[in-house]
Amino acid sequence: MTVRFGYTILYVPDVRETVAFYEAAFGLTLRFVHESGLYAELETGAVTLAFAGEEMAEMNGLAIRPQRKSDPAQAVEIALICDDPQSAWDRAVAAGALPLSPPQTKPWNQIVGYVRDLNGCLVELCSDMTNPN
Amino acid sequence: MRSSSGYVELPTGADPRLGIEAVWLSLARQASAHRVLPDGRCDIILRFCASTGPIKHISVVVTGPTTAHYDVPIQPGMGFAGIRLRPGFFQHILGFKPVSLRDKTLVDAAAISASPPLATLCTDAISPETLPDRLIAFVRSRIGQDHAPLPGQTRRILSAFHASSGRLPVQDIAQMHGLSARTVQRIVLDATGLPPKSYARILQFHRAMRLLRDHRLSPSEAALEAGYADQAHMIHALRRFGGLSPARLADVTLVTLKE
Repeated sequence: MTVRFGYTILYVPDVRETVAFYEAAFGLTLRFVHESGLYAELETGAVTLAFAGEEMAEMNGLAIRPQRKSDPAQAVEIALICDDPQSAWDRAVAAGALPLSPPQTKPWNQIVGYVRDLNGCLVELCSDMTNPN
Repeated sequence: MRSSSGYVELPTGADPRLGIEAVWLSLARQASAHRVLPDGRCDIILRFCASTGPIKHISVVVTGPTTAHYDVPIQPGMGFAGIRLRPGFFQHILGFKPVSLRDKTLVDAAAISASPPLATLCTDAISPETLPDRLIAFVRSRIGQDHAPLPGQTRRILSAFHASSGRLPVQDIAQMHGLSARTVQRIVLDATGLPPKSYARILQFHRAMRLLRDHRLSPSEAALEAGYADQAHMIHALRRFGGLSPARLADVTLVTLKE
């Protein structure tokens, strides 16, 4: 038996709106959207970032605390590795992301900034530590 | 109508943009009593005698949001075609607020007087199988080209109740949307016809039933996951809303949502 990490799925109030935001704010591209508009995947490589409509929680018999902008962010973040965190952060903020914390160099020499997305989800924009230069 | 024998939800027809959660058909072969559970939803139902040949004398029934279970006596040969409306769409489709129909049902003249376009649903039909399409066409004509009649705020508030299956206190839902509890109260009452607390309790009750029956959780696990203080509270809710015990869930039809 093998297990591998395949998806992070955010439950969102509006899948299409969220995809449009992730395209504009982070330059990510759409891989797939279901015709129902209740599920979409972004082109994010080996681990897929996907969005599911909040209706999907009820369909699957789950109960979730939906993420909203005026609620504290949930105990999870999406970390996006960028070649230029500052430009990525500027673009995200220009596209309507909440400018939570501008990119700063951390003691371990990584550049890390935070925004909250259109739904209030925490997104980290950071430099690559797997391949330090 | 959520009932047992003869009830099928059709694989097509559900359309969230039109506020159609499910389209169903029920043809009774034997006398029985169908238990209708409160589910926070309203249905438009066509009732008829399923004989051979054209269907005449079609009755139209609109069921309001209920807070308690009731049994509908069914005679053999009775047929029903129905459409379950997604909470929030009632007024747009029928032209009046669902709160005036709480725990009530309108039949024929009373329904048509409340919503005159319903009269178009009662003309003779070639067969029972044509009635679901008739209901879908009716809703489509009422919604019109505007596929999203719910204001964004109403949609997000209702979605928060559903996604959390009634587990979040009304005060929390108000706070997370930057609204007062009073505003949430008004939005939910307008959209569903039920006060938010009752609405949440009903959604929670439905999830508890699903966890017990479909997910096969033990009563203590289901009570915890559904957000009841303990098993006794869950059993009380099953009895209050459904007249049911955990051991007697096999035969009820629960609200299902399809993609």
